[in-house]
Amino acid sequence: MTATAAETISAPAISRAPAKWRPSAQGWVFRAAVLVLIFGGIIWRTATIEQFWADRFALAAIYAVIGLSLNVVLGYVGQVSLGHHGFVGIAAFVSAYYVTEKAGCVPNECSLGAFGTGILFAVISGGVAALLLGLIALRIRGLYLALITLSYGFMAERSIFEIPFLTRGGAGMPAPRPDGFTTDRAYAFLCYFFLALVIFVDWRLLRSKVGRAVLSVKHSEPVAASYGINVTAYKTLAFVLSGLFAGLGGGLLAFHTQNVVSNDFNFAIALLWVLMVVVGGLGNRTGVVIGSAFFALFPFLLELIHPLEEAVIESGRAFGQVTIVVGAALAILTVIQFPGGIAEQLSPITRWLRGQKFALHPEGHGGKHKGHAHKKGALLAKLGLHKGDQHAVDGAPSEQQASANPPPEESAAAVADHGTPLRADNGAAGGGETAATHGAAAVAADDGTRGGDGSESAGDGDEGAAGDADDIDAVIRRRFPPVPSRTPPATGATDDEEA
Amino acid sequence: MKSVIVVGVVAALVAIILALGADDPTGPNAFVIIGLSQGAVFGLVALGLVLVYKGSRVFNFAQGEFGTIAAFLVFVMVEQRFPTKVPYVAAAAIAVVLTVLVGLAMERVVVRPLLNSPRVILLVATIAFALFAIGAQVLAFLPEAKALPPMVTSVFGRSSFELYAFTLEPQRMLILLVMGGLAAGLAYFFSKTDLGLAVLAISQDSFATRVVGIGVERMSRFIWGSAAFLGAVAGVLYVPLTVLTPGAMTTGVLIPAFTGAVIGGMTSLPGAFVGGLIVGLIGSLSNWAGGHYMIGEGDTARLLGDIIKGTPDVAVVLALLIVLLARPQGLLGREA
Repeated sequence: MTATAAETISAPAISRAPAKWRPSAQGWVFRAAVLVLIFGGIIWRTATIEQFWADRFALAAIYAVIGLSLNVVLGYVGQVSLGHHGFVGIAAFVSAYYVTEKAGCVPNECSLGAFGTGILFAVISGGVAALLLGLIALRIRGLYLALITLSYGFMAERSIFEIPFLTRGGAGMPAPRPDGFTTDRAYAFLCYFFLALVIFVDWRLLRSKVGRAVLSVKHSEPVAASYGINVTAYKTLAFVLSGLFAGLGGGLLAFHTQNVVSNDFNFAIALLWVLMVVVGGLGNRTGVVIGSAFFALFPFLLELIHPLEEAVIESGRAFGQVTIVVGAALAILTVIQFPGGIAEQLSPITRWLRGQKFALHPEGHGGKHKGHAHKKGALLAKLGLHKGDQHAVDGAPSEQQASANPPPEESAAAVADHGTPLRADNGAAGGGETAATHGAAAVAADDGTRGGDGSESAGDGDEGAAGDADDIDAVIRRRFPPVPSRTPPATGATDDEEA
Repeated sequence: MKSVIVVGVVAALVAIILALGADDPTGPNAFVIIGLSQGAVFGLVALGLVLVYKGSRVFNFAQGEFGTIAAFLVFVMVEQRFPTKVPYVAAAAIAVVLTVLVGLAMERVVVRPLLNSPRVILLVATIAFALFAIGAQVLAFLPEAKALPPMVTSVFGRSSFELYAFTLEPQRMLILLVMGGLAAGLAYFFSKTDLGLAVLAISQDSFATRVVGIGVERMSRFIWGSAAFLGAVAGVLYVPLTVLTPGAMTTGVLIPAFTGAVIGGMTSLPGAFVGGLIVGLIGSLSNWAGGHYMIGEGDTARLLGDIIKGTPDVAVVLALLIVLLARPQGLLGREA
């Protein structure tokens, strides 16, 4: 990777002339205090609020686990899974079956070991279900995966959830909570613990070689493949990871309701889960957790408005039904008008907490480009689907996203340690540089402009560096931009089919 | 040419099955008829899916909801007599027109702003719209099953036709008739008319289409309006045969319809027609096979029996997988 490509990649870094602004010690203390207030507030509220509210908080944490699971597929790989209720439901039934039938648990008499094993089985069954589906489904290109996952979930609903020894003929399989966690409040803390675990695993994995490989696959499958990244294997891996998380979510859901009924896992709820990830902000951990918690708590928040509560109850309707309408409307609004979702709206705060100045728009992002174009760009970037002309237009959507998309050096490194570089040195062979290398360099550099700061200058520096290093290189680059953008819908279609 | 061959092969298979089982009362014949009439509905919805896919390269998850919306509108006018009592046929026509307006509104509000977005985003948007429609129906009509009377109750003075121990209601015959007519009409539309060619052009290269003077927005409006029309017709015709619940056409029909469209090739209208029928046949025949061969004694048999209660769905999913793995372009699909 010492080639022109390397220079091209490092160019944006050079052009970031002023040193990054860092808060003072006092500033850090202030930021830490706010974080402590937020998390302390949540824990304090859970510890002091009525039990039934703690129960709802537990549900919010479980939804967040499921949301993060979907986020792996939707946000990191850029595929749609509509069959998550299959994974979650299978895992819920497996864990409930284990603790009730095999471990012999009854309410108020269930060891923590049995619970742990039940959860473990849930996680494994979710992973296995995802692996089986992924092995087949991920070989199929493009949007068809959505269809397969959809019909998979439907099949699970009609066949697996109908097995009587699992579901006890529709009466439901009891899943007593373990000793010490039988109260709603204690169980909520248990769910928080698992949520923290999932967030940690998700965060570490995304920062690892695996995570970088998955993200590079999302950006461009052909380019990733040309660097020796096994595209199908990494997609399957991401799918299995999603299944493991979904399994955990299913296990927790089983002990949350304490009686697993197959009706709880239906098509509509799978769609709602997809929407909560989109509303939260694709590929953004914080956003997804907040969005999922919001969707889980929304019916109960509505209940707090008393006139509304009376009206709804009198008419014989439920708040859960209102959630579907409002959630769907929010999702449409998000997709059309605010593609970054909740994460985008909160990004000034999250950026500030990460040690930047408080600003409504990212640093180096002059007022010029705020508005629709860059918001849309943010979403495109998150899905890893670029419109060719986008890379100059959109700046840094959020610092959050910078963490989701690794900096250029990192992703280049990821690509490098995955296979033999196509070309070892630049020497005189500038003209012989393959198109694939160009694509990769472009993707990586593009990444930099998205994730970092100073988008336009970075783009210019990039171009300039390439020109200085190698004229032919620059000409090829200008002649054949990284991603063709002549025909947006058609490009989108082919992009999808390749992605 | 290819489509003629495929249709011929399917027809021949159906004829052979019917001929072989003619004397066997427990044979598959009744199931073949059920499958065909069920498949006709799948085909009708699949036509709308293919139309949208041809025009904008996206799976329209709201296609089923067009049908449910239309069915609920008919229900409101015929059963609840709101705003006034309307004859059934007029109610159906009004419902279809209103649903087309819904489709146009959806195009304007949801699809148009996303015309140049990645297809995954548009896909999510159609899902959101479908869920919005389902949620609105739940709020308006509560999640209770309702019954919608059939549009036609007698043909040639008879109210039912016995065919291989299966009662063929006039409504089912109407569905078969309407679907055949629509499929033929659409095939003609896309191959022979300028408007049809313009729709095809949009799906291939919208920029070039705009260059030669075809309005992309106008075409998009046309495509989604027609899709809503097809969905509404399917809903008005099919829902009387089943129960009317919020999202009825999405939970029960959309997935087999997608499978049918994929089997047919996702871009081929005759393919959608044939694919829908094939899916109906697969589901119905696997139902028959499941009931016929798998019932036995013992735990294993009971477990198998429990699993095969979902046989039609499993078989449909397997069919989808096999087609996508072995022949992703479908039976009649082309790269166009």
